[in-house]
This record gives sequence, C-alpha cells and structure tokens, in this order.
Amino acid sequence: MTRTVEDMASFDSTVRHACAVAVSDEHLWELSSAFLSAGLAAGDQVKYFDDGTSDRVLERMFDDGVDIDASLASGQLEVVPPEATRAAILTPIDVMRGLVDELIEDALAEGYSGVRWTGQLSHALNRPAGMLDYELMLDAAVAGRPARVLCLYDRAHYPDDVIEDMRRGHRVEIETTTVYDDNLLRITSTGIGSARLAGEVDHSNRPQVRKLLLAELDRALRSPTGPHEIRLDVSSLRFIDVAGAVGLVHAAEEFPSSHKLVLDGVRPRVARVLDRCGAPFASQLMTIPRPDRPIPSTAGADE
Amino acid sequence: MKIENRRSAQIVALQHRCGFYASQRDLVDLLVPMVGAALTRGSTVALAVAPETADAVEEALGPAPQLVRLSEPGPGCHSGQTLAARRARELRELTALHGPITMIAQHRSELDGADGAFWTELDAAYGIALADMPVELTCFYPELPLHQSILDGARRTHPMLLVGGDPVENPEHMSPRSVLAEYPAPSPALLGAPDLQIEFGAWQLNEVRDELERALLSAGYGRTRAEDFVLAVNEIATNAVEHGSPDARLYVWLDGDGVTEGAVCEVHDRGTLRDPLPGLAAPHSAEPRGRGVWIARQICESLHVWSDKSGTHVRLHAGRPV
Repeated sequence: MTRTVEDMASFDSTVRHACAVAVSDEHLWELSSAFLSAGLAAGDQVKYFDDGTSDRVLERMFDDGVDIDASLASGQLEVVPPEATRAAILTPIDVMRGLVDELIEDALAEGYSGVRWTGQLSHALNRPAGMLDYELMLDAAVAGRPARVLCLYDRAHYPDDVIEDMRRGHRVEIETTTVYDDNLLRITSTGIGSARLAGEVDHSNRPQVRKLLLAELDRALRSPTGPHEIRLDVSSLRFIDVAGAVGLVHAAEEFPSSHKLVLDGVRPRVARVLDRCGAPFASQLMTIPRPDRPIPSTAGADE
Repeated sequence: MKIENRRSAQIVALQHRCGFYASQRDLVDLLVPMVGAALTRGSTVALAVAPETADAVEEALGPAPQLVRLSEPGPGCHSGQTLAARRARELRELTALHGPITMIAQHRSELDGADGAFWTELDAAYGIALADMPVELTCFYPELPLHQSILDGARRTHPMLLVGGDPVENPEHMSPRSVLAEYPAPSPALLGAPDLQIEFGAWQLNEVRDELERALLSAGYGRTRAEDFVLAVNEIATNAVEHGSPDARLYVWLDGDGVTEGAVCEVHDRGTLRDPLPGLAAPHSAEPRGRGVWIARQICESLHVWSDKSGTHVRLHAGRPV
C-alpha cells in the first residue's frame, strides 16, 4: 500500500507506521520535514531522533515555513541528540516497547493530541537482531493509538538489500512524485505552473531548470484556468551559478507578456547572484526574498 | 520610423593614445598644458600616474575638484588585466557622475615585472575593458625604458600616437587580441605547495564548492565573502571543464602569495583560450555567455588569466579575510 506524506498528516488517517525510501539527501530532508511539520500543525508532539542530520532537517522545516525556534522553545518539537538516539536504538526490544508507551503517555499528559517521530536511525544496522523485530513491535505499539512513526531509508546510509527488506516489512510505504533528482538538485511539482527547487543548480543540471520552465509555461498556457504566474519555490535552493541565474532572467524575459516568473523564497546567496545577472531589470521576473536563517539553535547540543 | 541623430561633439567610446617623454621634467611639461586644457573644457581628469607626477601637475595648476587621482596599484599588482578591470570600475563610476573623462596614465617601472610584459597586457586590456566608455586615455611611456619590449608593445596597443602634442594615426596598431597572441599575458610567480588540491570534472563542481567554502570559513572569511569568492571560483572552474578539458585542477593557498594576504586559488585546464583576456568587457544583457568571468573579476581582488603549452591557467585572489 502506498500513500503520500499528506495522507499520514491528516488527523483521522489510520496510518500509524509507514516507511519511505529517499532517493537523495534533498528528498530525505523533504520527507522528514513534511512529516514533522504536519505533526506540528496537527498539534502533535514531534520528535526527531538525530544522528548528524538534524541541522539540515530543521533548515528544511524553516524553508517550509515552520517557526522552528518557537516550536523548539515550547517543547512541541524536540531533537533527540545522537548519543541518546543510538542508545535508544540498542535497547532490548521489550525495554523499547516501554519507552514507546511512555512517549505516547507523556505527550498526552502534556496536552498534545498525540506524538510522532522520525529520524536518522541507521545505527540500527548495528543491532545483532536486525531491524524487523523493531518494526513489528512498533506496529503493535502504535496500533489504534495517537502515535505516528515514519521510518526513513536512504541509500547513503542503508545497503540496498536492507532497504528492500524494510519495504517488505512495512505495510505502508510513503511515495512522492519527483520531476527530477540528481542528488544535487531536486525538482518537485507543486501544481499547474508551479514547482519547487531544492539543492544546487550548476553546470551539471542547469538544462533541467530550463526544461522545467518551458514545460510549466506550456501547461499554464494550455490550461484554460491556468495561472499567469509561473511560480518557483526556491526557498531550499542553496546555490545557483551565473549561467543558471542568467537562464532564469532570460526565461522570464522570453515569456509571453501576459505571464510572469515568480521566484519565491530567494535566499540571500541566490539573490546576490540574481542581482549580478540583471534580475532587478527584468520586468517579467519577480523575486520574493527568504530571510537568512540564523545558525541552528541545536547546533551546540550535537557536540 | 524615427531616425535619431546620434552624432555628438562628445566622445562616446575609448580614445587610446600613446605619448613618450624624455624625463620626469619633460613629462610634467607635457602634462600641465594638456590637463589644464581639459579642465578648461570642463572635462574631469583622472590621473593614473606616479604620486610625484600628480603632485607636480597639481602644484602647477592649483587645486581643482575635477582633478581626480585613481587608486594606487599597490605592491601586489602583477596583473595588467586586473588593473585594467579595476580602472574600468573606477571610470564607470566617474563617467556616470561626470560624463566623459580625460585619463592620463604613466609607465611605472616598479610594475615591470621580469620583462615589462605587464604594460603590453595592461594596454591591450584597456582596449577591451574601456572600449565602450567615453574616455580619452593617454598613456605616457619613457623614450628609453629598461625593457625594449615595453615600447614594442606600446606601439601596437595604441591606435593613436601623440606627436608634437597632436594625435596621429598609429600605423602599427593591432587589435588587443592580436597583440596578446604575440605578447601573451605573463605567468605569475610560482607559489609553494598548496593547502588544498582538488581534481574535478563537470560533475564534481559541487565538491569543489563545498571544500573551498569550508576552507575559507576556517580561514576566517565571513559567510558572505566566502560565498561570493566560491561563486567566482565556481565560474572559472565551470569554464575550465566546459570549454577547457574534461578534467581540471584547483589549488588553494590560504595564506596569500607572500605579497598579498588572503586566499589564492588557481584553476588549471588543458584547453586553449579562444579569448586571451576573457571577462573584461561588460557583458551585454542579451548575451547569455561570458558573464561568469566578468562577475568573477568583479568579486576578486585580482583575477589573472594566462596560457601556455600546458593549457589555460587562472589565478584568483580573494583579498584579506573579512
């Protein structure tokens, strides 16, 4: 059974425990953030079991519009430090079951609607008993209870055969549609005439952006109710080279005069390149800045 | 159809002349009436001459707000193309404020380097970097410089020569790019073992950026400065693998080159340069290519391109950590 992250986000969803396989780092941050951010919005207590990845996940949540600092300060969002994550993974299964029960009860006692967690749990590869017993225990522990767990697997952290075993070991797998992903740049569609870029645009993948813009413009022009703005969410775009920026400026200039290109969530680093490439003088290009995120507040806790 | 008359009495593009002087005294005697006449015409005069020359001219003419001294090249200035790019920035500001500029430049032996090739490179680079600017540039060279090649170069890079105070066509003039084919931009002094060395292809540019950024941050550069310098190096590295050879090399020195503080990078590829001095002319908005090197030159303290039989080489200075 495959579902989307949005399915799992809805409060009355019966899905409690699912897995997802990330094809790239950007995909991993996207899945983690979608799941955690939906939990915050639903009033759940949200935990991320960190093992060196929390900075990037928090950055992506910030890109997705979450007020992370407020959520961390209130305790609704918690990043479990790497040592604690690894220790929890290696506890015997019956002890772990007790911990899961405690998590749920504590969240309810504190007034949250439930609890959900995900994380970088690849330390489980070191468990002599493997990982399947953990998944079976989770199935039983969260069934019918206000708890949701997303087990994330990516090829950088897990061998292929383990990933296949884990896919078979979960009744629900979360799927996402990807327009393009080369592990440096990830493009996802967000509707007619809109898409999201995450990662970096350079010489290796620049033509993909041009292709995307042409395709989105075409879709918008062909749809009778299509939008007059082609909107690119670039809040997770960390780098763009000069030719990439010039390409965006030129693409906008070549749009029919009825249409505009909107870049939403432009980071300062990307904005400086666009400025040097004539973006301020392109009448059919609109940029909406994203504030720079200060150094993540949990950075110290990981040391 | 509307036909516009675009003729005007004002200069609209670079006029590049060469004059010669016998002695410092002789130079000042030539300059005082020339600068005086320009000021009387209402032109702003920009001096790129030795401080003692500027002092003597100012003393003779009295203080004038339209008489401007351009920045001093400094001891680390070994790259004619870098100085030309810097002058282009300074003049762009001045022409935006004051309209056409009269610029006076003087040969300075402390910038000769090993053989004086600096000057030929500088004048060829002026021919490209200032081509579309309303500047009347007169470069003064000594009649007997230490290196004969300086005069040979000057006779090729200047479209006009000043003879008896009057500009005359220079029959030996060649286009900047043909001059550089004959007198290539010099290679800079070799540096020691680099702190970081990366071999890369078109699909490893992100690794080049990541490693360089980490190194710059650890060397004390602020985030914005580090990111901008990484962009500059990325553009040069992109050119190397796009137009040069499938594999290229980056060397990084974090402690400067012995004269100038700050990080130095070199990008080497095995290709040949189509344009011996890329990125000097301001890019046209309709032209998608060629902007990368131009932007890199704006970001870097210095950017020197040279080539030899082993390929194309670029040295970039980040400037002091800020």
